Amino acid sequence: MTQLDSSTAVSNPGSEAGPFDVLKHNFLQIWQVLAALALIYGFFFIMSEPFRSFDTLLSIFGQASILAILACGTTIVLISGGLDLSVGSIFAVVGVAVGIFMAEWGLPPFMAVGLGLLMGAALGALNGTIQVITKVPAFIVTLGGLTAYKGLAEILASGRDLSRFPDAFTFLGTGNTTPMIIMFAVAILTGLFLTKTRLGSRAFAIGGNEEVARLSGVPVAKSRIYYYMLGGLLAGLAAIVEVAKLNFAMPARGQSYELYAIAAVVIGGTSLFGGRGGVGKTLLGMFIMQTIIVGLSYMGVGTSYQRIAIGAIIIVAVYWDVWRRSTR
Amino acid sequence: MTSQGDSASRPAVLEAQGISKHYGGIVALDDVDLSLHEGEVLAVVGDNGAGKSTLIKALTGAISKTSGVVKFDGVETQIDSPSDAKAAGIETVYQDLALVNEISITKNVFLGREIVRDDWLGRWFGVLDFKKMDTEIRSLFGKLDVRIADIYREAEAFSGGQRQAVALSKTVMFGKRVAILDEPTAALGVRESKMAMDLVRSLKDHGLSVIMITHNMQHVLNYCDRVMVLRLGKLVAVRNVKDVDGDTLVGLITGATEAGAAA
Ligand SMILES: Nc1ncnc2c1ncn2[C@@H]1O[C@H](COP(=O)(O)OP(=O)(O)O)[C@@H](O)[C@H]1O
Ligand SMILES: [Mg+2]
Repeated sequence: MTQLDSSTAVSNPGSEAGPFDVLKHNFLQIWQVLAALALIYGFFFIMSEPFRSFDTLLSIFGQASILAILACGTTIVLISGGLDLSVGSIFAVVGVAVGIFMAEWGLPPFMAVGLGLLMGAALGALNGTIQVITKVPAFIVTLGGLTAYKGLAEILASGRDLSRFPDAFTFLGTGNTTPMIIMFAVAILTGLFLTKTRLGSRAFAIGGNEEVARLSGVPVAKSRIYYYMLGGLLAGLAAIVEVAKLNFAMPARGQSYELYAIAAVVIGGTSLFGGRGGVGKTLLGMFIMQTIIVGLSYMGVGTSYQRIAIGAIIIVAVYWDVWRRSTR
Repeated sequence: MTSQGDSASRPAVLEAQGISKHYGGIVALDDVDLSLHEGEVLAVVGDNGAGKSTLIKALTGAISKTSGVVKFDGVETQIDSPSDAKAAGIETVYQDLALVNEISITKNVFLGREIVRDDWLGRWFGVLDFKKMDTEIRSLFGKLDVRIADIYREAEAFSGGQRQAVALSKTVMFGKRVAILDEPTAALGVRESKMAMDLVRSLKDHGLSVIMITHNMQHVLNYCDRVMVLRLGKLVAVRNVKDVDGDTLVGLITGATEAGAAA
């Protein structure tokens, strides 16, 4: 426990923190991330001519947006001290299911979307429930979910041609802009949820110190199930946007998305150990990651090397998180 | 210093009979009785590992009891979870488990009892009423003379004394009948201890009956009405504070003095 500032903290009980203090506080929390982003962006800006265009910036956002929708859910789960490795597979299941709802059952898009979201939420809640009841570590339970849901997606999709969806549906994935708008809407709602609501703000307490939360009368298990449920819901929404964008659904989609999402969340500065973080940080982290991917490909570096680079960055980000915790 | 009148003659708020707690083969608490009277401060003393924390955790539903009954206002009451205890008007500051480091002072004080807005946003989405919570905290801190300037700051930014002051204020805000404090001055400096103990005394002025675990014999003698001594999970003595001195208490704690008649 640090005691920095106990002098200011003791001063005057009536003083109010103004909006400037809040801004300053937030800036102090994320300035390192911003600096990293500036460095990385600057590097590619200098190194690659085509990288400098505004279209590139737009496509960075556009390509990141589907993953960012999913990562908003990951942010909630990680803040609460949980972990869901199965969201990539939930993504696959919901994508395929929504495809079946429209291509085979002929359901109208809004119903297909509604059912898809419900399915994502249900699969997430199932993870949470199993974990809360069995007390098996989240890592193991959701690793099971990763494999099982992937299998489910393959079974559902086998022998089916899931493509050519109605315009009223594919509109959700139009260009870079529609996914981007959906992403920002999701990010704002997730941010409001985490900072303004009872359930959302309890995620920080549960992730920070589950035992204190329990002793304070917080229904920890029930809350956790909700967090996993929201994680699944947002994985489902991300899948829906992607299926709309691609105009086909297949079970191979969503592979490793959970890892990319966790990477973005941690790079942004949300703790892998719970209790701290925010959705703005996740967007920053996602932007950093996507900048690296796009920048490297503009420089002619292949996808395999890009994966190695991202892997290295994940390790650096987690190490940084561990280091910050130990020096606090 | 305090009114050390005969608190034992007042009616009991909280009574426990035959409380035991076993951890596998380990008997952490063995058939302990306790009674807390209206308006008194009851000290619980004993060596490390004597079972003091286990006793209050079992009393307040933080852990399950192996056996024993709890009565509140003379009526047998099921207290199986921290929420049950809170509902009965018992507020507890657990040892090392008072605050969440990562969240603000406001959120800590209201954790588990957040105030939501009195409109559809509050009812449907549980949107918090920060304004109301801030106002309540400021007036509470003002009343108790707790000096915390920035209630939006994370709890970890504050000193041990300030954190303890926040935890104790919480018992004033929510405790309707009983406050239970597990080593409220552990790890505090002299000045901070004094501050915390003044707060403990003011709990009494706010109409709360108090159970306080402590290792500080001076605090027992100066601030408490009665004292119970635990040794190796067993209750070895209950005394009126005015009938004992520090040496006797230390003797009872270590086992050097054998217990005579209980108060
Ligand atoms: N969760 C637990 N599992 C096993 N033994 C425990 C547990 N909690 C406490 N104990 C044991 O119970 C005894 C009493 O502990 P405690 O109530 O914490 O003592 P005190 O608060 O008086 O120092 C100790 O011997 C301790 O080792
Ligand atoms: Mg103890």
